[in-house]
Amino acid sequence: MSTTTPLTAVKPGEQRTDTWSELLGRVGKIQDQKAFKQLFDHFAPLIKGFCLNNTNQSFGNDAAEEIVQEVMLKVWQKAPSYDPSKAAASTWIYTVMRNARIDMMRRNKRHQTDNSPIEVDDLWDEDSTTGPVVQFQRLRDEEVVQASFKILPNEQRQALTEVYMKGKSHSEVANETGLPLGTVKSRVRMGLQKLQAHIAGTAHAKVQA
Amino acid sequence: MNHLASSQSTSSNASAQQAPINHHPDANMLVEYASGSLSWGLSIAVSAHLQLCQHCQQQHAKLSALGGSYLSDTPKEAVNDDAFSRLLDSIDKVSNPAQHKAAAHKAAPQNEQAIMHTMANAKKAGIKAEHLPRVVKKLLPPQLRWQKISNALKSARLITGQGEHEVAFHKISKGGKVVEHDHRGLEVTLVLEGSFSDEEGIYCPGDFLIKEPGQIHRPTASQNQDCLCLSVCEAPVKVTGLLGAFINPFLSIKPA
Repeated sequence: MSTTTPLTAVKPGEQRTDTWSELLGRVGKIQDQKAFKQLFDHFAPLIKGFCLNNTNQSFGNDAAEEIVQEVMLKVWQKAPSYDPSKAAASTWIYTVMRNARIDMMRRNKRHQTDNSPIEVDDLWDEDSTTGPVVQFQRLRDEEVVQASFKILPNEQRQALTEVYMKGKSHSEVANETGLPLGTVKSRVRMGLQKLQAHIAGTAHAKVQA
Repeated sequence: MNHLASSQSTSSNASAQQAPINHHPDANMLVEYASGSLSWGLSIAVSAHLQLCQHCQQQHAKLSALGGSYLSDTPKEAVNDDAFSRLLDSIDKVSNPAQHKAAAHKAAPQNEQAIMHTMANAKKAGIKAEHLPRVVKKLLPPQLRWQKISNALKSARLITGQGEHEVAFHKISKGGKVVEHDHRGLEVTLVLEGSFSDEEGIYCPGDFLIKEPGQIHRPTASQNQDCLCLSVCEAPVKVTGLLGAFINPFLSIKPA
């Protein structure tokens, strides 16, 4: 899949996503500490920024630092199961972070979780995917997704941002913005549809090329 | 269904013997699951569906990629100076080889035992556990307590560590009709074994149904096999007044 126009926007002085995936792969295969340090220097401030931006949970500076520690420890521990052909490092680390956030929130309501037979990693299980064809397809789609959500109209992008970045459910977004729940849901859906159209278009263009 | 992209995979490798899955979580529910804001109870149903449905696995992968791109675009916040050295200390602690070995040694046989135990129990309870999604296998208690709701329907509650939703197995006996009923809150049903139909269609293993309050339906199991479902219902709002005491805690059954 060689195209002349890069699908992911690479700002000057910044490394491509592939570099991070390669580094994460090395951490997994040979416990490469240097590669891990590079990943840490890049992703730790992103994870902290993500947590501090998350207005749905009031993360103070200390809590955000703790999440960084927890996520990067998990990254080190789980790296052997990372498969660069399945997901970009940023996506994989996002899922590790998402799980750590859910876990932290659940620990705060401990009385309920004490007798749970399942844990966060049982419910958000990234290893359950199947089939090599699917995996190949997945990586290609992923690059396109990352590039194309930037073309969305404002209100749709905002709705998706509230949901992802701020960790809110649709009904929370509706409550806070005063918009009807149906409007929030349709903005999210339409945003995703636009992405779908864009992805399909890009895939088609690639086949033609 | 508004999914992110058209599925090009024509069930190439896996489970070709199974009927295709036609009913999926909607895009909104998948987004909430992928971004981690979906409630624990509903996430169980979505997770179990994903473990059966390649199509939704791919959708979920794309939604996670979207999350990844949000992470990459986040304004950076500098971490404390000692953050990396603290992390290395933690790594040293957890990767102490002796500890690691001991932990692995301890974990492995326990896991196998637990799985054997689960299978045996499920068999006793009349469930062919091999086909169940992993997350559902994990939820199987040592002893399933079936409660008869009507002639055709029984249910067994599952402990899931949350109080917002009631998570349970429902079993409709072959050919059995469930009394027409309404839903007091959102109800999600995932078919695990057998099949059932209602006014709107037929549902086979892997199918994922969402019923909103006010949607009345009357499920009927197929003739050849009992139908086992995982159901997740919004826990009933505390009903005030005398009437509350008489309402069945699992389903609000309308006398037909």
